[in-house]
Amino acid sequence: MITIELNGCKQGVPPGSSVSDILALIGSNGKNAAVLVNEKIVRPENRSTVFLHEGDRVEVLVFAGGG
Amino acid sequence: MKETVSKSWFLPEEDNRHQYNFEFMDLLPLGSYTFSSRLILGTGKYSDIRTMLDAVRASGAELVTVALRRFNREQMEDDLFGPLSEIGGITLMPNTSGASSAAEAVRAAHIARELSGSPFVKVEIHPNPQHLMPDPIETFEASKILAGEGFIVMPYISADPVLAKRLEEVGCASVMPLGSAIGSGQGLKTSGMLDLIIRESTVPVIVDAGLRSPGEAAAAMEMGCAAVLVNSAIAAAGDPVAMAGAFSLGVVAGRRAFTAGLMPKSGHAIATSPLTSFLGKEP
Repeated sequence: MITIELNGCKQGVPPGSSVSDILALIGSNGKNAAVLVNEKIVRPENRSTVFLHEGDRVEVLVFAGGG
Repeated sequence: MKETVSKSWFLPEEDNRHQYNFEFMDLLPLGSYTFSSRLILGTGKYSDIRTMLDAVRASGAELVTVALRRFNREQMEDDLFGPLSEIGGITLMPNTSGASSAAEAVRAAHIARELSGSPFVKVEIHPNPQHLMPDPIETFEASKILAGEGFIVMPYISADPVLAKRLEEVGCASVMPLGSAIGSGQGLKTSGMLDLIIRESTVPVIVDAGLRSPGEAAAAMEMGCAAVLVNSAIAAAGDPVAMAGAFSLGVVAGRRAFTAGLMPKSGHAIATSPLTSFLGKEP
């Protein structure tokens, strides 16, 4: 296992996990989410080919209510 | 005894000369977009998504704000993108709420555009949660950068005519001064400054924050505001959906009053009925 930071929390994931794997892990279909790895946006078409490494910071963001 | 009134006092039914044309074109231009509704709706604070969606529909709003938040599996209902996409004719305007600096706001705007595909961004930078007053320096910096990148920038600001002009000069599509503090329901406390901003601006002035009633929305529109942005007043109403409809009417009434031209104010009474030649009095 490697450890990444997912939405601010430490998370163990199998080595070789892609961004798509992480989205599946947390139960997001990814369609309505923006993903950043180490502050860089990972576009939907690249999510299955961007792989995570020890210490990577992953943010998964959605739209919530706001004024 | 029931009173009857002669029909002849009224216009014949087929004569609609004096009926108001509610379909006249009075579009709100924002960047390269135009909107027929001048009520912009916030989506926060609703008790549930269904009520929020019904309120959006009842309001007739075409521009709707949303906020970026971390995905949380325990709060899947927070994800509004899918449900809002089901409403036709809606353009999303993500805000940068949560940002406390220009750099954070710019970053949030980029992420939001990636997610929404919308060029609109409401620049909202309020570092102090106690009063939520917008930071003018960071707001100016972020707005300047984002306008330069082609965003349709709608900055939330204090009612400051100097800042409003500077934001206009760096390419903001509108300025959105507050009526009073966010969520306070204190109404148009800043009306004097709003009046100055409206007089000086060449971009639409949109009152954002503080409104409590449709009457206040109408008053803002009568002053010459191009639109109003409302969230708490509808979401926290007893019946949010009904209140959304009421705000829609208030905004339309205020806008029609503004375009019709309000009568001049007078410091003294001016009679509407003749005061002379009354029942035996000398002319």
